[in-house]
Amino acid sequence: METATPSLLELQRAMRASLVVHDDRGISAHVVPGGIDPAERLDIYRNTFASVLTTALRLSYPAVHRLVNAEFFEGAARIFIEAHPPTTACLDDYGKEFPCFLSDFEPAASLPYLPDVARLEWAVNRALHVPDTESLDPRRLAALAEAERARVCFVPHPSLSLVRVDHPADRIWHAVLQEDDSALSEIDPGESPAWLLVQRLPSGIEVRRMSESAWRFTSALCAGRTLAVALDEARYFDASALLADHLAAGRFADFSLTST
Amino acid sequence: MSPALPARSGRGSIPTRAGVGLRFRHHREVLDERPAVAWFEVHIENYMGGGTSPAMLDAIRRDYPVSLHGTGLSLGSAEGLDPAHLARVRKVVEHVEPGLVSEHLSFSVAAGNYLADLLPLPMTEEALGIVCRNVEQIQDCLKRTILVENPSTYLQFRHSTIPEWEFLAEVAKRTGCGILCDVNNIYVSACNHGWLAQTYLAALPPAAVGEIHLAGHSLRRLDDARTICIDDHGSRVAPEVWALFAEALARFGPVPTLIEWDTDVPPMAVLLEEAAHAAALIEESKSGNGHALAA
Repeated sequence: METATPSLLELQRAMRASLVVHDDRGISAHVVPGGIDPAERLDIYRNTFASVLTTALRLSYPAVHRLVNAEFFEGAARIFIEAHPPTTACLDDYGKEFPCFLSDFEPAASLPYLPDVARLEWAVNRALHVPDTESLDPRRLAALAEAERARVCFVPHPSLSLVRVDHPADRIWHAVLQEDDSALSEIDPGESPAWLLVQRLPSGIEVRRMSESAWRFTSALCAGRTLAVALDEARYFDASALLADHLAAGRFADFSLTST
Repeated sequence: MSPALPARSGRGSIPTRAGVGLRFRHHREVLDERPAVAWFEVHIENYMGGGTSPAMLDAIRRDYPVSLHGTGLSLGSAEGLDPAHLARVRKVVEHVEPGLVSEHLSFSVAAGNYLADLLPLPMTEEALGIVCRNVEQIQDCLKRTILVENPSTYLQFRHSTIPEWEFLAEVAKRTGCGILCDVNNIYVSACNHGWLAQTYLAALPPAAVGEIHLAGHSLRRLDDARTICIDDHGSRVAPEVWALFAEALARFGPVPTLIEWDTDVPPMAVLLEEAAHAAALIEESKSGNGHALAA
């Protein structure tokens, strides 16, 4: 059978289809059999593709991996990878959509806290790997006039994430990674929601619980509300003490002044 | 006879001795125990972020020469290089100031997806033009020459018209890049495609060869008696590959040589043993007649 010679672009797209969605129709006719079925040759690359990405997901989601068994994780990962192949060669950045995937993944429905644990792990992964960035020097803020300070809009530090979970994902995550079965057995998965702050500190990754109001105030600041507006919305608690804590802990990278 | 290739001078601070591929599990041990390794090589893509690992590499490279090895630039992509990835590579290169920078004669990106492997290219004039264009873009961006490594492959394309060894030599000739000669990959591909490894070595211009890689491979048995040789970097260098390495040194002269081990990474002591074996062969080639052949 004669097959037209493909351009390099066509061949590479056909190879992508073979690896990602296991469709060899565009590629097999161009492969020299040499005594081995082209599909078997392509399987070698398919296996590497799947195993490298499954390993990347396992490294980013170690607690999810332990909460389900290895076989279950691998099965879920294969389906996820097909639906969300990476768009970057930097695999620390791969797997952002995995928590959302898990919340729609029928076989995981019996573990309703799994997507929350995954969301926390993604925030931890981000905190581990984002590029090093200087924190805002609080003296820059202190040097502003009172009127200017009200117009401050903060830029959050890239390692900072604010995660709201419906389940005690932080306690589950901690107990699972510590392999602390007794702590795990004491956790009530139906416990009330938790408001979490995740950040890279010089000493390591911090996951801390906040009150709902403190979390909302911090979220407003991170979303670019001016200091005046955020303080006004948070008038029922001591926001200025929390702001001082944020500045001391380096949770902002920069700020700008809004014009109005 | 050799064209004026800059690879030899572009070797930078990497000594003509045996180095070891550095993986995360050995960071702490290297910092605490300072093993006698001539140089280390790391994967660029593992150091693109911040945090602990890049900080440890910064501490390690104060005492050891470091080279950077890329796996994600996709030199053979017809759709061109990913500018965001190239920018990140450049940032790491500018920060680490490595002795050598290398990538592979393969592609790993198609339709915007990273395919997590070093995929084979058809050996055609079109692919040659595209690889050269991409290598030139990288060298312009990094303001230095790179080394391009021969891959291990498990399939060939029907419409290939150029032997891989001639293709690689031509990339070096057209772009001024150097060659990273992976002796294990030559062995693996020669086994899988019925090539003669010596033909491959003989086609590479000695002056362009700036580095050698050595690693272990395994034989995978298919459903019947047939086998395919897999470049899995998960064992010691095979005796046949050591023999081919000696042939390579006789032809190229002494070249910085790296022991790679990425699957089931062993204790550092095992890597040091492999590096010592490579070092002994390099020393032999320094006193032997390798230069006569390379001249």
